[in-house]
Amino acid sequence: MDANALLLGVVVITALAFDFTNGFHDTANAMATSIATRALRPRIAVALSAVLNFAGAFLSLKVAATIASGIVDSGAVTLTVVFAGLVGGLAWNLLTWYFGIPSSSSHALIGGVVGATLIAAGSSAVKVEGLMSKVIVPAVLSPAFAGMVAIVGTFLVYRITWNVPKPIRTRGFRLGQIGSASMVSLAHGMNDAQKTMGVITLALLANHTIRPAEGTPFWVIVACALTISLGTYIGGWRVIRTLGKGLTEIESPQGFAAEGSSAAVILAASHFGFPLSTTHVCSGSIVGAGIGKRLAEVRWGVAGRMVTAWLITIPAAALVGAGAWKGADVIGGTGGVAVVFALAVAFAAALYLAARRVPVTHANVNAEWTGTLDPEKERVG
Amino acid sequence: MNQYVDVDALWKVLVAGLAGGVGLVALFAVGMVGLAARTTAHAGSQARVAGLALAVVCFTIVVAGAALGLYVMLKK
Repeated sequence: MDANALLLGVVVITALAFDFTNGFHDTANAMATSIATRALRPRIAVALSAVLNFAGAFLSLKVAATIASGIVDSGAVTLTVVFAGLVGGLAWNLLTWYFGIPSSSSHALIGGVVGATLIAAGSSAVKVEGLMSKVIVPAVLSPAFAGMVAIVGTFLVYRITWNVPKPIRTRGFRLGQIGSASMVSLAHGMNDAQKTMGVITLALLANHTIRPAEGTPFWVIVACALTISLGTYIGGWRVIRTLGKGLTEIESPQGFAAEGSSAAVILAASHFGFPLSTTHVCSGSIVGAGIGKRLAEVRWGVAGRMVTAWLITIPAAALVGAGAWKGADVIGGTGGVAVVFALAVAFAAALYLAARRVPVTHANVNAEWTGTLDPEKERVG
Repeated sequence: MNQYVDVDALWKVLVAGLAGGVGLVALFAVGMVGLAARTTAHAGSQARVAGLALAVVCFTIVVAGAALGLYVMLKK
């Protein structure tokens, strides 16, 4: 096994690790509201979402071998840059998961790659206009827009069904919720698994393991689909708790309106080529559903913390990506990449252990929100 | 600002998002009103039939809309 093959192997493993965090970070987008309103039992919800993510990953076969295309100069994207970018995205995903903050996995990856490119090839390799039009502006517009749709939807749903007996209403909307949440899960699999497939394909191309005409190898599709659905099944319970219980108290009509808005906006955006982040859309919808029901409480502190995290996602991931590239470069060669990889593994293990001290699981994900992520607090108080 | 925003795509997303996210969601709610009319004990038989018909029409449109969304997504 020569050095290049080793480097390639590390990149593929890192990409799959990112894919995994992408899955378990984003389970919340589709399933948080269904879990909060008890439309689905927590474990059933993540299992359903995992199956649909898997199916979605297989259904979308047009994989583009690009990473942050139009945002960074594709000539500047070397294997090490891809690796450093992945490490940046991975680190940010794990950190936000630990704090239970829903943040965009795509932004984290883009941030990591931008940071690595900046330090590897200089600022001329980063296209500011592409970064603005493909990332920054949609990030501002999408939660606002999804929120607006959800506000109107929630308002109408309550207006229309005010006379419907509560048991029928709750049951009916729970069923509707399952449907709309399934759509979001499927769309997520179609969009997000593809990103990692593209990254791995790109790495294989750069290493001349495959020729451009060959397209994505089948094992890459299978590996990515499996990893993202496994991640989804493990479930980012911390993020689910924040979205389902933390932002606002959700009833099933609100959950249905929120997921309906998310599904419609995501499908429309992907059809018309407007690049949106699933996380931003879903979070916006849930806040909207909170506003749309009169007198419903939106915890603006939680929402504010979430938006703050969104603002620093790209710079923070970029910083880690740049550091990872620099570190690998200074130490040099495959050894440098191996050291950075080991550091990333240690970081992940540390966060995992820290998270175990205040565990959020399928059993306590719906516990009363007491101002923090910690479900144990209420027993004391 | 136009160099940063694809205005053409944006308004299409707005319209489609509203149609699906508000239109279909509201139709689903109307369908439930129909179902409720059918199951309410004091409703006359005519009201029950009308309620059922309303529910069937609404739910059919909602399912068709969702299927269209998926189809459009898969065609890409």
